Amino acid sequence: MDIIIAKNIKRTFGQGALTTHVLKGIDITVAEGEFVAIMGKSGAGKSTLMYQLSVLDEPSAGTITIDGTNVVALSEPERTAFRLNTLGYIFQNYALVPDLSAAENVMLPLLMRGLAWEEAKQSARSIIDSVGMEEKYDNLPAELSGGEQQRISIARALVGKPKILFADEPTANLDSVSGQQVIDLMTALNRESGQTIVMVTHEREYAITCNRIIHMEDGLIVHEEQLR
Amino acid sequence: MRNLRIGLLLGLRQIQRANKWTTLLIIFVMMLTFLNLIAVSGVLVGLIEGAERAVRAESLGDLIITSKDGEEQILETEAIVRELSAYPEIASFSVRHRSGAVLEANYKERRNLTAERDTASVTVTGIDPLQEDIFSNLSKNILEGEYIDPTQEGYILIGAFYIDRYAEQFGDIFDSLEGIRPDDTVRMTVGNISKEFIVKGIVQSKVDEVSLNTYIPEREFRRVFGRIDRNADQIVIKVTPQITEASLKQSLVASGLDSFAKIQTYDEAKPKFITDIKNTMNLLGRFIGSIGIVVASITIFIIIFINAISRRQQIGILKGIGIERRALEIAYVIQAAFYALAGSLLGALFTYGFLIGYFERNPIKFPFSDGILVAPPEETFIRFIILFIVTLIAGLLPAWLISRQNTLNSILGRK
Repeated sequence: MDIIIAKNIKRTFGQGALTTHVLKGIDITVAEGEFVAIMGKSGAGKSTLMYQLSVLDEPSAGTITIDGTNVVALSEPERTAFRLNTLGYIFQNYALVPDLSAAENVMLPLLMRGLAWEEAKQSARSIIDSVGMEEKYDNLPAELSGGEQQRISIARALVGKPKILFADEPTANLDSVSGQQVIDLMTALNRESGQTIVMVTHEREYAITCNRIIHMEDGLIVHEEQLR
Repeated sequence: MRNLRIGLLLGLRQIQRANKWTTLLIIFVMMLTFLNLIAVSGVLVGLIEGAERAVRAESLGDLIITSKDGEEQILETEAIVRELSAYPEIASFSVRHRSGAVLEANYKERRNLTAERDTASVTVTGIDPLQEDIFSNLSKNILEGEYIDPTQEGYILIGAFYIDRYAEQFGDIFDSLEGIRPDDTVRMTVGNISKEFIVKGIVQSKVDEVSLNTYIPEREFRRVFGRIDRNADQIVIKVTPQITEASLKQSLVASGLDSFAKIQTYDEAKPKFITDIKNTMNLLGRFIGSIGIVVASITIFIIIFINAISRRQQIGILKGIGIERRALEIAYVIQAAFYALAGSLLGALFTYGFLIGYFERNPIKFPFSDGILVAPPEETFIRFIILFIVTLIAGLLPAWLISRQNTLNSILGRK
């Protein structure tokens, strides 16, 4: 069953003669439980496509249905609530709140959903344990290595049990060992728990662990590789 | 509620992790703003309050008995005095006889009879020197010479403003006598009656009723002014802390004393212009204070704006993961509230723990009063609320401006 159905997605920036067409009419579907990598050169439009699919941006044209919801029609507060309840994010720069401890960072989406403090804390600790970061609950992000921060970021993305996990070049700022650990973690999540993941990456060595690789060029999907 | 919880968490942690010196500096600025708000108007009002206190202490007391409308003096003064002596709630009182006279100096040395005489129209107050000193501590205001001895006759105390060397600042507003010093002789004339007095002392106070007055013993007053009925012009009373002037007035009225005289509390008797001046000073203080509030709100706005703009990407990411804008705004409002609360609390501690006591002990020496710091807690609270609300708005505005920006633009640092 397709959890993401995007049709004729266009995204333009600027107006008149200065208009830039970044996405030029993309059709894409992602099945539930699939691990999809989007690859392409800089400027190919892969991140822009992911922003549309992850409801962080609004397409200039086209429709996107995620888990049965037409997200293009949602208002800003509805989009925020949708992201909270349905999607998880892993950003390139980890994007942890520097003033909060690792556990508090992970607790944020749960508190926003209305969970009690203690309940949120227990869930956060449990998910932190599952990404191999026991003993680091109370550390501030600045006290963690890049790889550790990204694991906490993954824990934050997963704690709300999202339907889809979006990862925007999650290994870009990591050394090869930490990068591989993050990819292994995501692969395990997909294979063991059936987590749907959409990942943008430059690195083929990481992309080949996915089910499918979508290659983009100049705002269009040029090729798809079905790996397994 | 969820937003408040997230806002509290983010706001409190930001305060907790912020640079301590920066936080202290912001709190210090807020404390100065609070002090500016409280102390400036407090000193301006205190300037008048100080003058009022002095008038109360040295001239009018808490309760003032004067003649009824249409009467020249207080009727049955002796009966009233007897009644007053029976009240243990009365700390002290003074019976005053008052009239106008012409005082002449240097007449013995006057060679040229066509030259202008050295005279001054003065107020003469007949007092019981002991009673008056207990009431107003008049002897403490002796500038030159000595206080009048109740056993001696023929002596006078002259207010400093009737003597030229002390009255220069007033120009020709009122008459003054030249070069008068203690032990000099002056002549008092009332109609056709003249009597010589030796200057026993010169009194000066920041209360004009003292510096623009002359004092002689009551016996001599009655003799000079021909008062045979012993009725006084004014009886001033100070009450003990056990009773308020209003309740004493009630008791005196209940005793029927109001059929002989007019009984007023200090607040009833004081001229309306004093209240007007106090209100004016208060208004002036508020105006100056409001400038401080504007400066503080701009300071808070800039601090929160810089803070929020430097965390723009973080704000975008938090919105991206589903944190509502309201929660992010609350986080910054909480920071602003913290600065306002901490600054105001320190300001209030400093004001009530030190400044008020300090100015009580060391009043500011203004030419016409000893200024104190007046800061009634209820007014301070109102001003704190104003400062608090303005600060919250100053904190909310930049947070609102930053958090309403497009989520993706914030994440990517795009304009």
